[in-house]
This record gives sequence, structure tokens and C-alpha cells, in this order.
Amino acid sequence: MLTQRRFGAGFRRILQDPVLAISLLLVVLFIFIAIVLPILAMIGVSLSEEGRALFGHYLGERAYQDIIVNTLTMGLSVATVGTVIGFLFAYVQVKVKAPFKRFMHLIALVPIISPPFAVATAIILLFGRNGMISKGIFGVRYDIYGLTGLTLALSLSLFTIAYLNFKGMLQALDPSLEEAATNLGASKWHIFRTVTVPMLLPGFAASFLLLFVEAIADLGNPLVLGGNYEVLATRVYISIIGLHDNVAAAVFSVILLVPSLTVFIIQRYWVGRTSVVSVTGKPAGTPQQITHPVVRWGLTGLVLGICALIISIYAVMFVGSVTRVFGVNNTFTLEHFDFVINGYGSDAMVDTTTFAIIATPLAGVLGMLIAFLIVRKAFAGRNIIDFGTMLGIAVPGTIIGIGYLLVFNNPITLTLPFVGDNVPAITLIPKLTGGRAVLGGALAIVIVYVIRSVPAALRSGAALLSQIDPAIEEASISLGANNAVTFRKITLPLIRPAFLAGLIYAFARSMTTISAIVFLTTPQTRIMTQQILNETEQGRYGNAFAYCVILIAIVLVAIGILYLTVGSTTGAERSLEGGA
Amino acid sequence: MKRFGLFFVVALLLLTLIPASAQEDSLTVLCTPQEDWCVAMTQAFQEKTGIETSYVRLSSGEALARIRATADNPEFSVWWGGPADAYIAAANDGLFESYESPNAELLDPRYVGADNMWYGVYVGATGFCSNVQVLEELGVDVPTSWQDLLNPALKGNVAMAHPATSGTAFTAFWTVITLEADKLEAEEAGTGYNEDGTPTQAAIDNAFAYFAELNNNILQYTRSGLASGPMAGRGEIAVSVIFSHDCVKLQVEGFEGVLVTSFPEEGTGYENGGVAIITGGPEPEAARMFLDFTLSAEGQATALQVNAFQIPTNPEAPISDLAVDLSSLTLIDYNFPAAGALRTELVERFDTEIAPAPTD
Repeated sequence: MLTQRRFGAGFRRILQDPVLAISLLLVVLFIFIAIVLPILAMIGVSLSEEGRALFGHYLGERAYQDIIVNTLTMGLSVATVGTVIGFLFAYVQVKVKAPFKRFMHLIALVPIISPPFAVATAIILLFGRNGMISKGIFGVRYDIYGLTGLTLALSLSLFTIAYLNFKGMLQALDPSLEEAATNLGASKWHIFRTVTVPMLLPGFAASFLLLFVEAIADLGNPLVLGGNYEVLATRVYISIIGLHDNVAAAVFSVILLVPSLTVFIIQRYWVGRTSVVSVTGKPAGTPQQITHPVVRWGLTGLVLGICALIISIYAVMFVGSVTRVFGVNNTFTLEHFDFVINGYGSDAMVDTTTFAIIATPLAGVLGMLIAFLIVRKAFAGRNIIDFGTMLGIAVPGTIIGIGYLLVFNNPITLTLPFVGDNVPAITLIPKLTGGRAVLGGALAIVIVYVIRSVPAALRSGAALLSQIDPAIEEASISLGANNAVTFRKITLPLIRPAFLAGLIYAFARSMTTISAIVFLTTPQTRIMTQQILNETEQGRYGNAFAYCVILIAIVLVAIGILYLTVGSTTGAERSLEGGA
Repeated sequence: MKRFGLFFVVALLLLTLIPASAQEDSLTVLCTPQEDWCVAMTQAFQEKTGIETSYVRLSSGEALARIRATADNPEFSVWWGGPADAYIAAANDGLFESYESPNAELLDPRYVGADNMWYGVYVGATGFCSNVQVLEELGVDVPTSWQDLLNPALKGNVAMAHPATSGTAFTAFWTVITLEADKLEAEEAGTGYNEDGTPTQAAIDNAFAYFAELNNNILQYTRSGLASGPMAGRGEIAVSVIFSHDCVKLQVEGFEGVLVTSFPEEGTGYENGGVAIITGGPEPEAARMFLDFTLSAEGQATALQVNAFQIPTNPEAPISDLAVDLSSLTLIDYNFPAAGALRTELVERFDTEIAPAPTD
């Protein structure tokens, strides 16, 4: 009863402030139209009579059962390997006395800006049947296609998530617990086993589940490295691109959605809540670092080995972009860059960057706004808003794409009742996808960029905001400022670091996303990742690599600009750091 | 906060740069040949006419699916390139507009579609594109028959495209169907072909049996027809099933001495690359001009700029020395109308029966 009354009061407070009420309404509308509706439409199509028949067919037949098993196996395998690699990097970074830590940290962050296909393609050139390393050094015609290659490529692309997760946890781990164990006579290994790992268990679970969701949603790597290892994401893709069978695509999508969403919900609402680490608040003292030579050099060597692997992959990309046919005809050439910069590729470069520039601030502001509403304003249904927003990233990109095709391929109109045929229907939402879409389909692509990026901005904003005492904002309100002014002048500057992180993530994510927009490009819009897919698919790796190099350059420049414009430390931020 | 304002203003300004809609003096071509030829052809047309021409490249199965899906509101006005089977399938569905091109009289009647629904712009033959080094390593000779591809030593070392997305692969697929029909017909008249000349169900089933067996040797079904060529070139696979002109192009463009072209002795198929006007397209006038251009000697000559070694259908267009000599090959009797009519049904069966099947 008490909570209900509190929520009711929260609502009344919101309604009293028109700016707040309107922004809440807009946020809810946006989440519903841009995220929830397409997913519901997709599910609706899959439950049509034709769709229900297909469910029976796909779930009953051996070949399709294998595809489902393949998808889940790949998810488990990537989640395991990626989590282990992420943990290794974080452990060495925080707990081991090792050289080159800054370097290792940077290498672990590289996959964030990595365009799709770059890793998979480079892996073929390094470890494929005729790979530089597999064939060139070991003389083996190694079969990298299928589960092995996919695990390698996806683990190396996704381990950053686990790394950042573990790094934060290890740094927050109270060293006094380990010190106590040491004082009681426990060996380092014993402490690792009985103190460190149990405290990190939620971290392992969270990383594992997040990587699982990301892995089974991935489209780019299976297209290049899959061999005859079929997964659901590629089935969705071929159903649309090859057969234009919306129903089959929707059915495969729902089959893919079930594990994605289940695992996401487990991660978010069950594992996410059982945090052991932050109970004691700020860690006391500095963590002890491992100096035992075997452990120290063993782990450091392992991490440096993985760093070398990652570097070699990107080296192949850079070298491949300036050689005629990498590995076959290694003549130096700039023709690939000429193609991308001066040829047909330049449109894609300009379009993609433009869309990302538009989407980035929108995603950043929206993320902060939702974080503000959820953390600061107590009202019923804020959990639903939070969940709705998170769906934007929890749902595989291909599914978002299909949902958009289903909902926005025709204008959504409202015909007024009782006015006769003379009054034309009112267009509520114009045609957003396909040919002759409004702005050549650009609007749909920008919206998809936004909804794929908002969840990360929301999380970092909410995390930071919940650590900031609302007293400062309350003071602002007491002094007569309204909610809007307070949000702009107090809250936003306070959560600037989260805002910056959200912006950087949004830009990088937008530039590198493929699965969500692969069905949304139109003749008027060319997207770099789509072009990279085309070039890769047709075996012109040189052009694909040149695109990748330029894409990375654009992302790096943008991050630099964001740091300079948004990242400058202001008084508010410094006082926060000083006061915390 | 001022910086944010600036951000949004810049973003909005950039938004205005995006073309809101297609202008009348522009044309968007749905293009199926290799990307560089799409560029060369559209640029040559643009230079000649001043019509701003862009293109989207899609493999022929994808293009067909896209035209079907957007039939209510077509995005493209003209489709150029890719085997005629898909053109016939589209024409049967009423997706094309009949157009009598003044340049058509130059063409052999074989290259004029029924009711002037489409025209042939080039011809190419299905072949095998093999990596000699890999074959040597595997101890396998250069394949010269469809049966050679079933050699267990080639397990995981053959690649072709998915017939649903690729016209290249569908041509190969129809070739095997025809050969199976011929085989049955030779054994007993009437068992290979129905009275209307289409292959019998038995012939089709035999072809599916062949591809089910070949599936064990296939590394991957690519999306685009020519994709398996570079895979062979890089030594990832031994043999690619592809149009021979695409293999020759690869040899000229970096894989010289690595790739060899060969043809199945029992018979090989060929494509008749098409061009057609899409019903209800946004730029009908420009589309007709473009179609005329692709049939002209000048338009077809653009092939030579980009190492496209297809044989032009316009007898006045220049032919490369590297183009395949069709008279040296055993060609099957490629029944384009039947292939076009059965296309959709066959690729759907392939997609459910062969492609997802696990290899043993």
C-alpha cells in the first residue's frame, strides 16, 4: 500500500511539471513505436496460420534441429572462451605485476571499434586452408570453417565486454578480504579459489550470458566463416535476402528470440542483482599484486600471446588494404583506397558517417533522459520503460530489421471515422523502409542506430546517477529551477562521463552495426558495413579491408572530437570527483 | 550546452544533404553483373545522356526477390544483368513492362524475350574454376565432368553459390537437371521430358540426388555467384562452380597461374544475361534509354574496360580474345522458359532440402 501511494505521488508530481510529463510521454511513445512495436509485429507474423505450420516443420525436422543446436553450441562456446579471455586480461591488468599493462588495456579495447567481417576475413587469411600461419608456418591445410573459426572470431570480437566487466569488479574487490585470508595462512592459489573466484561468480555469470546473447545474434561472422555450419541468424538472412519470405524469416527470428531474451532476462534480473562486490563500498587499501614468477609470467605471456594474435589480425587488415590480392599477389597498390574514397564507396562513407553523427547525440541525450527518469523519478512502470529500452539491444539485430520491414514498409495512416471518403487519411508515420521511403530510408536507419545505442547510454547514465546524491538536484529545485533546467544545468553536467561514454559507444556502434540495418538500406542510402559485406561476400578482400581501415579511422577521429568537445572537465565534474 | 546546439544544427544541415526523392533526371539501376561493370555501364550511360545514374548491385535471386517484394511500389526502373531464368520468372509474374527497343533488331531472335519483356545482353558458360596447387596437393585432376566433383578427396573443397540468391548457381543447377533428363530420355523416351518439353519429376529428383551427394563436398554456399572464385584463388577450396568468364577475370586480375578454367564434358549450361523494364518503376523514360544503351555496341563495349569476358549479344560489339568459344563446348539445350517457370519452386526445395542439410 505504502509503495503504491508513493508511486501515485510520483506520478502526480510528474504531471504537475508539463516538461517532465511531455518528455516522459515522448520517451514512452518512442520506445513503443521504435522498439516494441516492430518486435510484436514480427511475433504476430510468426503466429499467423502459415507461421504456425512452419514452426511445426522447423522444430520437427532434423536439419533444422541441427541449426538450432548449432546456434546454441556456438553461443555456449563463444561465451566460455570469451569470458575466459576477458577474465585473463582483467586479472593480469589488476592483480598481476606485469609489464605493458597500458598496451594490454588498449588492445583489449580495440574490438569495440572493429568493423564486422574484418576479424573473420583476417582469420581466414591467417588460419584458413591456405593461411599465412596455418599453411605458411605449420604446413597444415587447416579447416577453420565452422565452430572453431566462429568461436575464435567471435571470442576475439566480444571478450571486451567480459574484460571491462571483470576489470571493474576486480578493482572494486576489497583487498582486506584477501589480506585476511593471507593472514590466516592461506596460499595465493587457495585465496584465488576460495575468495576471489566466489566473489567474482556473478561477474562470470553476467559476462557469460551477455556474450551468449551477442554471439547467437551475430550475422557477419557466420556468413564468412560458417562453412556448412548453419546458424539461425544466417537462416533469417537468407529467408529475407534470397527468398523474401517474411513469414519464414519471422519464424526463424522467434526461434532465435527465445534463447536471446531468456538469457538476457536471467542476466539482467537475476544475476545482475546478486552483486557481492560492492557491499563494503569503497575498497580499503591497495590490492596486492601477484609476483610469483610462474603465475606472473605464465599469465602475462598468455595475455601477450592473445595480444599478438589480435595485432596480427589487424595487421592483416592494414596490409591487405594496400596489397593487390593478399597472400597471392602481394604487390603494393592504393587501388582499394581509391575505390573507397573516390569511387562508388565514397557515398557509403559519407552517408554512414552522417547518419552516425545524427544518431549519436540523440542516443546520448535520450539515454541520459531515460536514466534520469528511471533513477530520479519514482513512478509506476519505470521498470517497464527500462526493459523496453533494453530490448533495443537484447533483441538480435536481424529481428529488429525484420520488424521494421513489417511495420514501416507502408505508411501508417489514420482514417477518420464518419467523414466519408473525401477526407484523405492522415499519415501518422510515413513509409520508412524500402524503396521510395521517406528520406531514402535514412530515417529508419538513424532510428535503428539510436535504439541500438540508447541501452548502453542508459546503463552508464543510470549507474552513475544512482551514485550521485539527489541533494544537489533538490537544492536546484528549492532555489526555483524547474525540472528541465535542473536536468540541463545540474544533472547532465554531473553525469558527463556517462554521457561521453554513451556518445562514444553510440558512434562506434552505429558505424559498425550490420545485422540491424542489412534489410533497411535502400538505393538512396549506402551503408559502409553493408558495402563491406558485399565486398567480402564477393571475395574482394582488398576493398573490404580498405573500407575497414577508413571506418576505424573515422571512429577514432570521432572519439577524439567527442573527448575534446564533451569530455573537457568542468567545475561540476571536478567537484564531484573531489567530493566523492 | 552550446556545443550541443551546434551538434544538432550540424546534424540537421547534413540531413538536408540526403536526397529526399529521386529526381526526374536521374535513374537507379538494379544491377547484377560484377560491381565494376555496374560502375562502368552506369557511368558510360550517364556521360552519354546526362542522366544521373546510380545502381544497387544484387545477385539475381536477391534482385528477383526484391522486385517481387516491392512490386506495389518499385524502387528500380530497370534491371540489367544476370541470367534470363530469373527474368522469365519475373515476366511470368507480370513484374516487367513490354518495351520494343529500336536496338533489338540487331539481336539474334534468341536474345529477345517473349512479348519483348526482356532482352539478352551477354552470354556466358558455366564452368569449373580450380586452384591447380590445391588440386595437386589433394591428388585430384582438374575436373572435367560433373561426376568429378563428387570425388571424396574433394570433401569440403568445392564451393558454389546458393541457387536461391545466385543466378550463377541456378544455371549450374538447371544444367544438371537437363543432363539428368537427357540421361533418362536416352534410356527411355518420355521419361526425361514431359510432353511440353519440361524435365520430368524423375529427372528433377535425380538432380536433387546429385546435389545432395555434392553437398558433402561443398564447403559453403555463398550468396553471390562469383564469390566462390576468389575462394578457390586463395586456396581455401579446390574447385568453384562458376561462370567461366568470371574465372578468367580473376586470372587476369591477380590470380594468374593459380586458377584454371575447365568445362564438364558431358555438357554445360550457359546464361543469357538479361535486361528489362520494371513495371511501375519511378523513371520509365530513363529506364528505356538505359535499356537501349545496354543493347547498343557502345554500351556492350564497356565490358572490355573492366575485364568482363562475357560474349556480347550485339554482333557489332567488340569481343575479347579471352571470351569463351562456345563452339568448342558441349552445350546443353537450355530451356530458358521452363527454367524460368520452375525457378521459384526449385530454389525453395533446394533451400529446405539441400542447403541446411548436415554433411556426413
